[in-house]
Amino acid sequence: MPAFLQNLTYEGVPVWRHARIVQWTLQIVSGVAAVALVIWFIANIGLAIDSRNIPFGFGFLDTEYQTPIGEHFIPYDPSDTYLHALLVAAVNTLVVAVLGVILATILGILIGVARLSSNWLVSKLALAYVEFFRNVPLLVQLLFWFFIVLTLPPVREGIVFLDLFYLNNSGVSMPGPSGFGSMGVFFIWIVLAILGIGAGVLLYRRLADRELALGGVAHPVMAGWALALAIIVSSWIILSLVTGTSPIEWSTPAPEGRFGRIAGGVTFRAGLVVVLLGLVIYTAAFIAEIVRAGIQSVGRGQTEAARSLGLTPMGALRAVIFPQALRVIIPPLISQYLNLTKNSSLGAAVGYPELTGVGITMTQRESALSIFILIMATYLAMSLTWSLIGNLYNRHISFERRR
Amino acid sequence: MTTTQETRTSPAPSLPPPRLERGTIGWIRANLLNSRFNTGLTILVGIALIFAIWFAIQWVLSADWTVVGNVGGRFLIGNYNSDQACPGNNCFWRPQASLLLVTFLMGMGWGVAGAKLMRNLALITVGACVLLAFLPYSFERMGMDVRVLLVANMVSVAAGWAFARYTRFGTVKWVVIFSVVIFILSLAILQGASFLGMQTVDSRQWSGLQLNLILALAGIVLSLPIGIGLALGRRSHLPVVKWLCVGFIEVFRGVPLITLLFMSQHLVPLAFPETFPRNSLFNAGVVITMFSSAYMAENIRGGLQALHPGQAEAARALGLASWQTTLFISLPQAIRNVIPAIVGQFISLFKDTSLVYIIGMLDIVNISRKAVEGRVEFQGSAPEIFVFVAIVFWIFTYTMSYVSRRIERNLGVGER
Repeated sequence: MPAFLQNLTYEGVPVWRHARIVQWTLQIVSGVAAVALVIWFIANIGLAIDSRNIPFGFGFLDTEYQTPIGEHFIPYDPSDTYLHALLVAAVNTLVVAVLGVILATILGILIGVARLSSNWLVSKLALAYVEFFRNVPLLVQLLFWFFIVLTLPPVREGIVFLDLFYLNNSGVSMPGPSGFGSMGVFFIWIVLAILGIGAGVLLYRRLADRELALGGVAHPVMAGWALALAIIVSSWIILSLVTGTSPIEWSTPAPEGRFGRIAGGVTFRAGLVVVLLGLVIYTAAFIAEIVRAGIQSVGRGQTEAARSLGLTPMGALRAVIFPQALRVIIPPLISQYLNLTKNSSLGAAVGYPELTGVGITMTQRESALSIFILIMATYLAMSLTWSLIGNLYNRHISFERRR
Repeated sequence: MTTTQETRTSPAPSLPPPRLERGTIGWIRANLLNSRFNTGLTILVGIALIFAIWFAIQWVLSADWTVVGNVGGRFLIGNYNSDQACPGNNCFWRPQASLLLVTFLMGMGWGVAGAKLMRNLALITVGACVLLAFLPYSFERMGMDVRVLLVANMVSVAAGWAFARYTRFGTVKWVVIFSVVIFILSLAILQGASFLGMQTVDSRQWSGLQLNLILALAGIVLSLPIGIGLALGRRSHLPVVKWLCVGFIEVFRGVPLITLLFMSQHLVPLAFPETFPRNSLFNAGVVITMFSSAYMAENIRGGLQALHPGQAEAARALGLASWQTTLFISLPQAIRNVIPAIVGQFISLFKDTSLVYIIGMLDIVNISRKAVEGRVEFQGSAPEIFVFVAIVFWIFTYTMSYVSRRIERNLGVGER
C-alpha cells in the first residue's frame, strides 16, 4: 500500500476502516448513482420524445374521448373528456375491488373454517379447493369463466330460475334495490340505521364486559345483533307507514319489450360477473389459508385456559381466541386485498373496462407514456391506501416489543 | 384355607378392540359422524359431491378434446418451429436439446443429493418426456426424430447421474456451476449462434410453455439475491440506502404487473439510447424479476424481523463483524423461517409469466387463447383448452409447493 494512503487516517483510524466514513461514502455513492441513473433515463426519454417524435403531454385529457365504455357506474357519454373516461374506469376498478374484497372475505372465511372442520370430507374438500385455485394463474381462470359466459344462451333464450333470477350471456339479473323511493326518507333511514348499529355495538360491549366480570351467560353477540336489526327494520316499517314511500325501492327483474331485455332488479353485466367470479374464487383460496393459519396460531392451551376460567365455548372464542387470531390474520389479509385490487387489472383481458383496459384502448390514439403514468399513479395511490390501513391497524394491535 | 376364587397366574387374554371404534367403521364414526351436526354436514356435502362428480364425468366424456390435440406440440414450443420463426422448420431439435441438457442436470442433482425426492423428480420428468414420444400422432405430424429425441432423455438423465457419481464433478458446487452454464447454453441454442452458421430465431418467436419456463427460471434465480439485497437495504441504518430501497419496493409492489410490462414496452426503448439492443423478451424478464424481487424483499424482511435480536447480539459478542453476522447468522435463519413464503413467491412468479400476453408474446395461455378465439370450429371447446392449461400449470406449481414442504421438513423448521 502506498505510504500516502497509510497516513490517511481519521480520528486515528485509517479511513477505509472508519465506520462513519465508510457509511457516508456508501450513502453518497448510492445516492449519486441512483440520481444519476434517473437523470440519464429522463434525459434519454426527453431526447427520444424530441428527436423521434414520440407524443407526450397531458393536453389530450380535456378533449373528447369519443369511445363508448361498456360498463359505467357514474354517468358517461362518448362526448365526455379523456379525464372523465379515466375517472369512469377508475370507478369501475373500485367497484370490482370493493365487491371482490367483500365476497372473497366471506368465501375465504367459510373455506378457511371448513379446512379446520373435524369432518374429514369437508376439510378435504376445502383443501382441494385451496390447492387447485391457488395454483392456477388467475388469467387462465378468468379466460375460462369468460368463455363459459360466452357459451351461455342469449338473452331471449336465457336461463330463468323461479322467475326471479335471469342468467344469460349478457349477465345475471336478480331482485334487488333499483332506486330510492325518496332521497329524504332514505337519508333519515340511513341515519337511524347507523344509530341502530351503534346501539347494538354498545349493548354488545356492555354485555360482554359484564359476562367477563361477573361470569354467567349473557349472549352479547346475539343481543347486539338483535337490537341493531330491530332498530333498522322497525325504522324502515315506521318510515314507510308514516311517509308512504319506502327508503329504497325493490324490484324484481322481468323481460321487457320485443328483444326480451331484462329490466328492473339488479343486473351484473357479463364483464363484471367474469371478473368477480375469477377474482373472488382465486383470492378466497389465499384468504382461506390465512384464516386457517391465524386460527391455528393460537395455542390449544389458550382455549383450555379460557375454559378453565369458566368462559363458555363461545365466550372463549370471542374473548380469547379471536382477538389473538385477528392479530395474525389482518396484516396478510390486507395484503390480499391489495393484490385483489391490483389483479382487477386483468379485467382488461376479458373485456371489463377497468383502468388498465380503458388505458390500453386510449393508447391507440394518445400518448401511451402519459396515459400509463396517470394509471400507474392511480394504482399506486390505491395500494398506498391499503398499506396505510394495514400499518395503522398494525400499530393499533402490535405487542409492545423488546428492542 | 379355601378360596372360592381362583388366583390368576397369567395375564388375561386381551379382548378384541371394540368393533365400532376401530378400523374403517371406527374411522368413519370418528371423522364423518362424530356429532349430529357433522352427520348432517356429511350427508349434505356427500350428496353435493356425488352430483358434482357425476356432472364432471359427464362433462369430461362429452367434451370435445380435439382442440387440445390440434394445438399439440405448440403448447410446448409455440411458434418456435413455424415458417416465420425458422424457415425450413428445422429448429425443432433446439428446444429438445435444451430439454436434454436440463434432464442431464436433473440426473446430476439426483446423483449428488441421492435423496428420494430428487430421484423421483428426475424420473417423473423423464417419464413424462418419454410418454410424450408415444403420443398417437401420425408420423407426418410428429416425426420419428422428435420421438427419438424425447426418448433420449432417459439416456441423458442416466448420463447425468453417472457423471455426478463417478467423476469429481459430483458436488453441489459443480451442480450450481453446471446449472448456470446450461441455462446460458440453452438460451444460446434457442437463439442460435450465427457465427456457427446456425439460423437465429428471433426471441419474439420463443413461445409456448418454453417461454413461461425460461422467464420463470430467470426470475427465480435472480429475484432471490436481489430481494435479499433490497431487504437488507430496507433494514439498513443508512437513510439514503434505506429510502432508495423503500421507494423501489413500494413502487414495484404498488402497481399491477401488467401495467409494468406494458410500460416496459413503451418506456424502456426510450430510456436507453437508440443504439442499445432491443429485446422484448429481455425487457419482460427484467420487469418480472424486479416485480418479484420487491415481493421477495418483503418476505425476507419478515423473516429478519421475526428473528430474536439476541441472535445478532450474541454473534457480535462472539466477535463477528457485522457483515459476518448478517451473512452467517441472521440470513440463514431468516430464510429458513420464510421458505413457504419464498416458494409461494416463486409460484406466483411462474403464474405471472402468463401476463406477457399484454405485450403480445405467445406464452402457453396466449397460444391457447389464439387457438380458440375467432375460430368458429373451436369456439365451443374453449373451456376444454383452459382446463387443460390449468392442469399443466397446476402440475408445475403443485410440484414446487410439494418440494418446498419436503425441504422444510428436511431442515426441521418448527422443530428446533
